[in-house]
This record gives sequence, structure tokens and C-alpha cells, in this order.
Amino acid sequence: MATLPSAGAARTGNNLFLRIVAGLSTLCGWIAAAMILSAVLITCQMIFIRFVLGQSTIWQTEAVIYLVLASTLLGLPYVQLMRGHVNVDLMPLWTKGPMRKALAFLVLGSSIVIIGVMAFYAYEMWHFAWARGWRSETVWAVRLWIPYLAMPVGFGLYLLQLGADMYALAFGIEKPFGLEDN
Amino acid sequence: MDPLTLGLLVAAVTILVLFSGVSVAAGLLIVAGGFLLVFDGMRSLELMPEIFFGKLNSFALLAIPMFIIMGAAIASTRAGADLYEALERWLTRVPGGLVMSNLGACALFSAMSGSSPATCAAIGKMGIPEMRKRGYSDEVAAGSIAAGGTLGILIPPSVTMIVYGIATETSIGRLFLAGVMPGLLLVGLFMAWSVFHTWRYGNASVLATRVYSMRERLEILPRVIPFIVIIVGVLYAMYGGIATPSETAAVGALLCLLIAMIIYRLWSPAKLWGILRDSTRESVMILFIIGAAGVFSYMLSSLYITQSIAEWISALDVNRWVLLGVVNVFLLIAGFFLPPVAVILMAAPILMPIILAADFDPYWFAVILTINMEIGLISPPVGLNLYVINSIAPDIPLKKILVGSLPYVGCMVLAIVILCIFPGIATWLPDLVMGPI
Amino acid sequence: QTELRLSHQWSTGDVRHQVAQMIADEVAAANVGLEITIYPSESLFRAREQYNPLSRGQVDMIVYPLSYSGGQRPEYNLTLMPGLVRNHDHAARLNESPFMERIEALMAEDDVMVLVHGYLAGGFASTGDCITRPEHVSGLTTRAAGRAFEEMLAAAGASISSMASSEIYNAMQTGVLQAVNTSSSSFASFRLQEQVACYTPAGDYALWFMYQPVLMNLSTFEGLTEEQQAALTAAAANAEAWYLEQAKAEDAASVAVFREAGVQIAEMTEDDFNAWLALAQESSYPSFVATVPNGQELLDLALSVE
Ligand code: NA
Ligand code: NA
Repeated sequence: MATLPSAGAARTGNNLFLRIVAGLSTLCGWIAAAMILSAVLITCQMIFIRFVLGQSTIWQTEAVIYLVLASTLLGLPYVQLMRGHVNVDLMPLWTKGPMRKALAFLVLGSSIVIIGVMAFYAYEMWHFAWARGWRSETVWAVRLWIPYLAMPVGFGLYLLQLGADMYALAFGIEKPFGLEDN
Repeated sequence: MDPLTLGLLVAAVTILVLFSGVSVAAGLLIVAGGFLLVFDGMRSLELMPEIFFGKLNSFALLAIPMFIIMGAAIASTRAGADLYEALERWLTRVPGGLVMSNLGACALFSAMSGSSPATCAAIGKMGIPEMRKRGYSDEVAAGSIAAGGTLGILIPPSVTMIVYGIATETSIGRLFLAGVMPGLLLVGLFMAWSVFHTWRYGNASVLATRVYSMRERLEILPRVIPFIVIIVGVLYAMYGGIATPSETAAVGALLCLLIAMIIYRLWSPAKLWGILRDSTRESVMILFIIGAAGVFSYMLSSLYITQSIAEWISALDVNRWVLLGVVNVFLLIAGFFLPPVAVILMAAPILMPIILAADFDPYWFAVILTINMEIGLISPPVGLNLYVINSIAPDIPLKKILVGSLPYVGCMVLAIVILCIFPGIATWLPDLVMGPI
Repeated sequence: QTELRLSHQWSTGDVRHQVAQMIADEVAAANVGLEITIYPSESLFRAREQYNPLSRGQVDMIVYPLSYSGGQRPEYNLTLMPGLVRNHDHAARLNESPFMERIEALMAEDDVMVLVHGYLAGGFASTGDCITRPEHVSGLTTRAAGRAFEEMLAAAGASISSMASSEIYNAMQTGVLQAVNTSSSSFASFRLQEQVACYTPAGDYALWFMYQPVLMNLSTFEGLTEEQQAALTAAAANAEAWYLEQAKAEDAASVAVFREAGVQIAEMTEDDFNAWLALAQESSYPSFVATVPNGQELLDLALSVE
């Protein structure tokens, strides 16, 4: 069976680095949850303004989109910490011992590479919008570097959490794929 | 390399990568990044975050976390228990009454929750222990909840219908309506089977439950009122000119949070955080897959694979029902391995032109697709509902859950066949409410 | 053999796809070793996210409403400004004007050039009374395409609601939305004739014109052989003439669709037009001038086209 949304959080042992990273990721989870909650409230406020008061709604739609986006990105490290990203672990179950460990390194390593690529180019995307003063093309005309900031920060912290997972795996604090030896 | 061969290579690599135990979203990014690097050059990598951001830069996606919050808020109260008990008091005399109460509770809960695992968890927490206590076998207890929970994505609201609506540019309001009657059909088939099964194999201990008086039956009804308020409130906002379907989701989420806090006295910050935490976790997981699948489908389109496959299939001169059969088998297999959202996002751009060219209704097809995804939810190796059952009742082995849900898979296949013969079951209600297409 | 990729957001039945197809066909027929692959319906990039990839050469050509990039280059907002273009022939003259040269110079800074100029017109539709004058939108929940129009409509007292185009039909049906302002071709493709009571198309006087050119990456163009460039330019010239003709025909076609559906057709008079213009002059125009350093000069340049 695959590991799952239900399969408990990452182990930190008594390691300071792991605990700091876990703390950061948890903080991200709080922020992400707060962002989703504010998206709910803003949308309801928008409906109220438009339907009950009959007034123009200028900024709400865009704000809500960016809040959900930012919540998704900041939620990445938290969900990684909680082992909530769904996967198919057929190969982990077919392998065992050192093979399974090697596979775990390969999987974590390639995740780190791809998320690193995302984080790097996300930073460039953010920097471009910031340096050139880009805005969204709406009446609200929000400075795009603000919503874009969620990309490098979210992917960056996700990268950090993946790094911590790699560390925990290397030092035997966490079992490969969180699976017990059978 | 010709795009079709390349497509086969991509498919093989994707399967290999996803089976490795990497998370689905990261796996899709890895495959997309790898192929872009090799076939489009280094510079196409810098597009990845932009496409990821662009994919999630959509108001309609807001509905996903909102409909998940609705389910999570109600699931954390005793509302599910009330609903379940109310149904039980009314259905005890029927053979398999307890199973029917569970299925009915799942169906009603589905009308508030957009996600299947949430539905499964909400009803399963009471339902499974209760059924086992009353002597139903583990297979029946686990199987009926696993299968009943899948109704969450067919009966509106539905997260996967939203994803389908965005991917195919179809009306989300119409998609929701299209799921209503097939949802009822499926509930009917599930119940019919459970009555038959209990009658056929029923034992005395199962049937000898206490009989409730009329007074006891009426007494429980007020406790179902919050459910009615939420369902009517959401429907009124959606079809009464107050808000678009995506906006309605926020109304529903707020309504459910308020009802949880006021009626069920869910005041403690720890419990409220619990609701938000669970919702955040599920929605981040889904939205990450959506963003990553966006990058993946950019890669398929950029390498002209999507277009070539669509051209190749439409050039196949086959009967449209054969075509649908092939599509169905493809969806079933994909559903075994991938969560519904990922399947819809990857398959929709390829399947949509084919379905339309074969003159199938896109809303009817959404229902067929959804039922296939429901089967996927209770089939290994990736079946989100199986994990939920596993976390509720860790002592029931997977094999028993699977055996128990197998007959319900049969019901779903039967529903697909019925829908192919009578497509009106899906299209009648949307046509009635919103006018013909 | 050079392969170019062209991206746009419309379906293959749309006039803008046909313009792209025309260029692709003519260039192929010219036999200069140039092949254009079209990616329609946002199959490569999402509608609003095509400009930057074009600027970086990750796609070679796009058909693109330039005002989508108004957040990056606020000057582009002038290409969707109320009352700036009076009719299609006026639009054609604007394309050849010093104003457009300035816009093209800005595009050149992003390594982008114009292959085919083109404007498309649009109008209003409402679920209630006809909209011809600013006072008609007062109190209506309206969806407008474009920032300058949103500002003008808000100044007229409308509540502006932004929503995805795929939600418009549903929103008009349930009454969330009471009026829409968009292009002639969009009206028909969203099947709004089924939901609205009155349609005010682009007629003798029209407010809504949007610049939707075929753009190309400048360096990619310069990297082609002279023969290929000539073939591409020739095809583009033919396409431009056809695009102008079709732009006019689109307005008439949309009227036919709405009339057939039994929708009332309203017309804007010169007086109505001037009322809108006066409103724009105190809402969208000053707002534009405030966001662009030499905004007034550019605006005057555009307004000076006869
Ligand atoms: Na549902
Ligand atoms: Na499955």
C-alpha cells in the first residue's frame, strides 16, 4: 500500500536542524491556513458588496486568487512535513534493505533537483517583475512582485524541507519512505 | 523522433517515475522538466514556474479549498453522527438497514462536501465501528463506506467537476447539475445491492437490532436541520442569482464553519485549527498536482504529443461506442494509479476533442469520467478512500476492504452502462434548469 | 527547413485563427523552407501569458490582444481605450500612424515586432433594457473586457464584476451579471444570444475596439533568410487586408446571430457616443495619463489620427 495523507509526520529525532526546519514548515502551514480562511472571508465580503450593496468590487477577485496561490506554495513544505503529498509506492514495496534506501535517495534527490530548478527560475521571475515594476493589468493594478514572491519563498522552503528529509534519511532518523522493514 | 513514438516514451517514463514512490506532483514536474530539457533545450526550463503560476492563477480554483473546508468543518462535529443516527432510526426494519443508513448518510454528506476522502472519513468514523459492533462483517462495513464515500465527487459540489470544468472550459454550474441524477442512480444501485446481499447472506444478529418507536424517529429529525440549511443555502446562492459556483463555495465554507461553531459549539481554537489544517493539507496536495500537471501538459503540447495522439485517434475509423469503450478502459487503468485530479488534468486536453468529434455530450462524459474516477478511489495501488478506511480501522486488512468494495465497483460499472443507454439521466436536469445547450 | 510556432487563445473556427492559418498556408506554398505550426485554444500558453515567452523567443509568433500586457507596459493600455477608435477604417489609419510607431518601438524593446495589424470591435449586451448611454449601466452588475472600460463603466455607476469568460453565460442566466461589454466574436461564441434581452453592436458609432495583432519575435524574424522574410511579409500583407474585411463582417455576423435569436438590437447615436466619450475623458483617460510618464503626449498622438 502506498503511503498516505494519513501516514504520520516526518520524524525529527532530537536533531536541532530537523526541528528548526519542521518548525518553519509548521509555521508555513499556519500561514497557508490563514490565507485560505481570509480568501473565504474576502469572497463572502465581495458577494455582499455586489449583491446586497450593489457596489463595484475592484480588488477582491484578484486578492483571492493570489491568496489561494500563495497558500498552495507556502503549504508545500508543511504538507511535505506531514507526508501529505500523495504518491504511488510500488517500487518501494518491491525493494528492501539497501535497494530501498538507494531508491529513497534517488527519489528525494531528483525531487530536490526539480524543486531547486523551480525555486531558481521562480526567483528570476520574481526579480524580473520587481526590477521592471510590472503590475497586473486590472484596475487594482497590484505590483506583481508581491504575489510572485510566494513562488521563490514557497519552493525555497519546500526545498529546505526536502533537504531535511534527505538529512534524516542519511543519518537513519527516518526510514526509507517511512516504511518498516519487513 | 515522431511525436507518437515520443508519446510512448513519455508514457513509459512517467509510469516508471510515478511508481518510484516520488510524490505525484513532483514526479510530473520531473518528467516534464526532463523532456523539456532534452527536446526543447535549457531555456524552456525557465518557463516552468511561469506556467505553474499561470495554471493556478484562476478564480475557479478557489472553489477547491472551499468545498474541502465545507466537508472538513461538518466532519469535525457530531453532525455526521446525527445524520447517521436519524437514517438508522428510520431504516432499521429494512434488511441491511444499517448499511443503507451509511450509504444514505454518505450521499447526503456528499451534497455538502466536494471531496471523496472527506465524505468517507466523515461517515466512516461512526459507521464502520457501528456496523462491526452490530455483527456486519468487516468486508461489508469497510466496503460500503469506501464506496459510499466516492459519491463525494459525483453528487455536487465536486472538486473534480471543477477541475474538469476548468480544463475543458465547460460550465461548472451545469456540470454540478449533471451529477445529481447519476448520483442518485448510483446510491439506488448501492442500496439495492446491500438489501439483496443482506437478504441473501443475512444472519440473525444483523437483523435483530432494536426497533425504534415513532416518537424516537421524529425526535431525531430536528438534528438534521443544519444539513438542510447548508444544502438549501448553497443551492440558493448558486442557482438563485447571488453568486457564481466558485463564489458559492466560499459561502458554503463560511456557512459550515459558522454552523460548526454556533450549533455544534466548536469554539476551541485547537479544533478550528484542526479543520483548517486538514483542509489546507488536502487542498495544497490537490492544487500542487494541478500546477504540476499544467507544466506536464505544456510539455506534451510543446512536443506536439497531445495533438498527434488526438489526430491519430480521430483518424481511427471506429464505431463511437468502441471509441468510448477504449477511453473508458484507459480511464480505469489511469484511475488505478493516479488520483482523480491528476487523471482529469492529463487526460482532458487529449480526450476532449475526441469526445466532441464522436458527438458525445461533454457534460454526460464528465459523469462517465467521474464514475471511472470513483472506481479509481477504491482500487489499489493509489486509492485515496482506501487510505482513509485504513486510518479509521487499521485492523481491517486491505484485502477485506477490496473484497467488500468489489460489488460496489460492479454497481458503478453497471451505472456507466445504464448511462450509455440512457444519457438523459445525466443531461435531463441541466437541460431543465439551465436550458438545452 | 525552419519551423516556427504560433500560439493563440481562440478555437479553430475563429477569425483570428484563420488569419494565422492564412499566413501559415501562404508561407508553406511559397516553398522557402518555412513551416508554421499553430497552437490554438491556449494549447501552449494561457491567453494572458503569451507575451513574455514571445519576447524571450520561446514561441515565435502569437495572435494577441496587446492590452493584456498593459500591466508591464502601461502604454499598451491605449490599444483598448474607449472612444479612441471610431470605426474599422479609422482603426486601419491608426495602424499606419506615428502613434502606432511609438507602440511598435516599445515592442521592439521587448524584441517583438508586428506582423499583422488588426482591430476588432465589440459592444454591449444586457439582460434588461438596452444600453446605449452611460446612465443605462448605472446600478447594473457588469463585466467589461479591459481596465480602461472598467474604469469608465464604474464612473457611470455600474458595479464591475470580474469573472472568467466561461462563467459569463451562467452568471447572466442566474442574474449575477446583468450586462457585458466585449468583442463581437466573443458574444456569439459564448452563446450569449440565449441569455440577453438587448444587444448594442458596433455600428456607425462604436466604443469598443481592441488591437489584436499577429506578433513575432524580432530576432527570430531577422534570423530568417531574405527569401523567407519576403514570403512572410507578403503573406502578412494579404492576411492584414483580409483581417480588416473580416473584422467588419464579424460585427454584422454577430448582429445576425442575435437578431435570429429574437434579441432586440439597439444602436448608438452620435450623441450617445459623445456622452460616453465625455465620461471616458474624466475617468479612463486621466487614469491612463497618471500611470504613464509621457501619457498625455501619447494619448494626444492617438487622438490626432483623423
Ligand atoms: Na459532493
Ligand atoms: Na486507484
